Amino acid sequence: MKSKLYSVLVVLLVICFAIPVGAAPYDPNTFVYVGIGEPDTFDPAYAYDTGSGEIIHQLYDNLFGYADGDIDEIVPLLATAVPSVENGLLSADGKTMRVPIRKGVKFHNGAELTPEDVEYTFERAMLADPAGGPVWMFLEPLLGVQTMKDVIVLAGGPETFENITDVDPAVLRKAYDLVDASVEVDGDDVVFHLAAPYPPFIQIMSKGGSWSSILNKDWMIANGAWDGQPDTWAKWYDQAKEDMTLYEQANGTGPFKLQAWDRSGGQVVLKRFDEYWQGPASLETVFVKYIDEATTRKLMLQAGDADAVYVSTDLLDQLRGVDGITIIEDLPYIGNTTLLYNYSIPVQGNEDIVGSGKLDGKGIPSNFFADINIRKAFNYSFDYDSYLEYVAMGAGTMPVGLAPQVLPYVNPDQEWYSYDLDKATEYFKKAFDGEVWEKGFELTLLYNTGNEQRKTAAEILEANIEMINPKFKVNVAGMQWATYLTKLRASSLPVFFMGWAMDFPDVHNFYVPYMHSAGAFAGYCGQGLVDLAKDQFDDLIGQAINATDPAEREALYYKLQDLSFEYAVAMPYIDSTQHRVHRDWVEGFVYCPAYSCQYDFYTISKAQR
Amino acid sequence: MLSYIARRLMFLPIVLLGVTLLVFFAMSFLSPYQLVSAYIKSPEELKNQNLDDLVHKYGLDQPMPVQYVNWMKNVLRGDLGYSVSANMYVTEALLTRLPATLELALFAIIPVILGGVWLGTVAAKNYNKPLDHITRVFAIVGWSLPDFVFGLIMLMVFYGVLGWFPPGRLSVWADNVILSGDFVQYTGMHVIDSILNRRWDILWDAVRHLIAPTLTLAYLWWAYLLRITRSSMLDVLNKDYVRTARAKGLPERLVMTRHVRRNAMIPVATVAGSMVLGLLGGVVIVETVFDFKGVGLLTATGAQQLDYTLILGTTLFFGALLVITNLVVDVLYAVLDPRVRLE
Repeated sequence: MKSKLYSVLVVLLVICFAIPVGAAPYDPNTFVYVGIGEPDTFDPAYAYDTGSGEIIHQLYDNLFGYADGDIDEIVPLLATAVPSVENGLLSADGKTMRVPIRKGVKFHNGAELTPEDVEYTFERAMLADPAGGPVWMFLEPLLGVQTMKDVIVLAGGPETFENITDVDPAVLRKAYDLVDASVEVDGDDVVFHLAAPYPPFIQIMSKGGSWSSILNKDWMIANGAWDGQPDTWAKWYDQAKEDMTLYEQANGTGPFKLQAWDRSGGQVVLKRFDEYWQGPASLETVFVKYIDEATTRKLMLQAGDADAVYVSTDLLDQLRGVDGITIIEDLPYIGNTTLLYNYSIPVQGNEDIVGSGKLDGKGIPSNFFADINIRKAFNYSFDYDSYLEYVAMGAGTMPVGLAPQVLPYVNPDQEWYSYDLDKATEYFKKAFDGEVWEKGFELTLLYNTGNEQRKTAAEILEANIEMINPKFKVNVAGMQWATYLTKLRASSLPVFFMGWAMDFPDVHNFYVPYMHSAGAFAGYCGQGLVDLAKDQFDDLIGQAINATDPAEREALYYKLQDLSFEYAVAMPYIDSTQHRVHRDWVEGFVYCPAYSCQYDFYTISKAQR
Repeated sequence: MLSYIARRLMFLPIVLLGVTLLVFFAMSFLSPYQLVSAYIKSPEELKNQNLDDLVHKYGLDQPMPVQYVNWMKNVLRGDLGYSVSANMYVTEALLTRLPATLELALFAIIPVILGGVWLGTVAAKNYNKPLDHITRVFAIVGWSLPDFVFGLIMLMVFYGVLGWFPPGRLSVWADNVILSGDFVQYTGMHVIDSILNRRWDILWDAVRHLIAPTLTLAYLWWAYLLRITRSSMLDVLNKDYVRTARAKGLPERLVMTRHVRRNAMIPVATVAGSMVLGLLGGVVIVETVFDFKGVGLLTATGAQQLDYTLILGTTLFFGALLVITNLVVDVLYAVLDPRVRLE
């Protein structure tokens, strides 16, 4: 009996070792990308995250795109020409844009693209306007407002309402008419009527902006989306993402079709669309898998089970020099990380952060950062070079302003802050007429827990400031992200870290959040910044976005860049760069800083082996 | 026997009630704002809504007993709230991920029990001999190693170096078949589904993906079972009835199987309940390391993202599972030892 048992065990072991259980056979038609961060939704009107954008990019096409990833060269995709004043498709006043639509383009369901599809795409998005979503990028250029609620106000409706069904149907109809009039079909063209000239509108509509992916009107209606009627749109307004038609299905004109979103298996499977208008992709099947464990991703790449993986900067060294793996570094990224100042810090109930609330060496007053000398002193106290080299591991460049240098209209020769403790001392001595230097201060510098790079940045600042004067005390403390955001929304953090990644590759998308009185960070920085912005920046930002002459735009944005230096509005400390890690059999990789995807699978092929 | 089972079943709701009370007690440490997502009927409710209104709507500003009753009504309806990290309702997330965990646990329990009992028997039979020492050292190393360390070692050796046992639940080609629509997923457990679909290639692929996580779980628990089995076997081997059995000339194999091992299994069955708990704990780590997308990985992700709703939901789920497992163990215990039934 015992000998029989052992015999069975031996046979089993032999089978285990004998069966070819090594790496999967090389398949040049299947690509496996392993990343982190699953998609939120596949609906272009809702998606506003890179995980969703990664997939939407492969399923849809936009009206325009970037030639070989070059953000300075826009080419037509589903359009047949890029509007400009020269070719007569953009009116001289910059407010009417005519876009001729390509013929013979097929959707995944076999339907042919029509100008009506384009009109429906933009109108449907604006009327749906999911809260916190990307649709403001259509509403601002086309209607001069930020939300559909603003359109309802324009139409004579109430400024606030509990439910859209509470709004008078006549007002809703008028709101629809405003939206409808902004995008019209004229023969084979689609005509966009802008509220004011808005040069980056073409970038907003370009590939990389998942929100402007073109949809198929008839298919959408058949699948339960807005029926295109003027009086029914409210039913589809601001739906929950799960209720939106395109939450987990797609019908685009892109090079890949959606085969499955396997949520239990954490993967998305894409299949080649053979009737793609630019010719079928080289890859037949693409798997996008989501695995949080970095070691597993790395081993899958080494074993050849993954063709490309996401690797964080700090782990890149583990893969350098590994046979068969290619690392591409220093890819320009349109985003930055910044330390921002609160000009009007609430003191009551905020004592744990601002101490006594007075300039007595035991705290800071509400207007501490309203003093320009304090902001400049802080900006000169940060060791930018050491941070870039030792904390960011070289993955970035030194900033020269609030907009990343990779963008047009950023002056590379602009004077900017550097690590200079003498200058920092000089400005600290000037602050509050010398009172700060004499009495000292104490404040708490907060970062969101888990972000070690921000923690180190805070510690660098702490060490340097405390070195300047023993009466200066900076405490560094971590806070959970949710609490951090709550405190930010209450404007109660005196000084804080934020990152900003572009929506579309234009400097406007950086000056608004950082410097406009209605920008994303204005609320966090207190009334002091809002007042300063209204007084010094808002008009310039408005003039710059509405300027159609590139030379004029450049001059205006250079001026804004200089003002951001002069007023020490914030302390950007790194313009990040990106990298990609894939097997050396991956060919055709094209990088475009405007893409939210890691790989444009259409350009990718795998070498034959 | 039946009356014993009936009695134990009668206690089940009371114990489950106790579990819900404990979970609710844990929930009481959270603010009403953090708890709201555990009550909402649709994620749409979180949009454009004043949190204070939602707190009031769901009675989170009410006295604790009222809150408990409201929460229990939801739980009894299978409504555990909406998970932000899983991007779906907690119940849906649990049901989606459960087949993977069940498959892993079912595959792990066999080598855990067989290996542990076998090692314990070998050690007892070779008491204080080199084989006893070797077996014990082998198992104790497993007991001492943190599960994530051993898991990573397994992954590096058997996947990174040898390329035998990859992470995940299936290879890409098998996933392709499963997601093609031609393959019917009856249970969500790939091993069973591949047998029902008569896809032996997928069966082998699924088993291949189960080996490393299963061995990781098993190795960590062998020492525990080995120790119990060994001491229990040694204890029984010295009993009078074993001596009598040997004296009357019964073959050693029969003595071991009929008289020693059966009686030695009683303490083993006793610890099985806590072992299941440990296995479930281990599943969280093992699923994370091997990218085995089950309830364990779901829980770990929820915890990392401070998704309280999901954490509470999975706590309740694991709690209920443990109570039911304990019931099964108690019944098994009664089968093995008739004295339990009489008591």
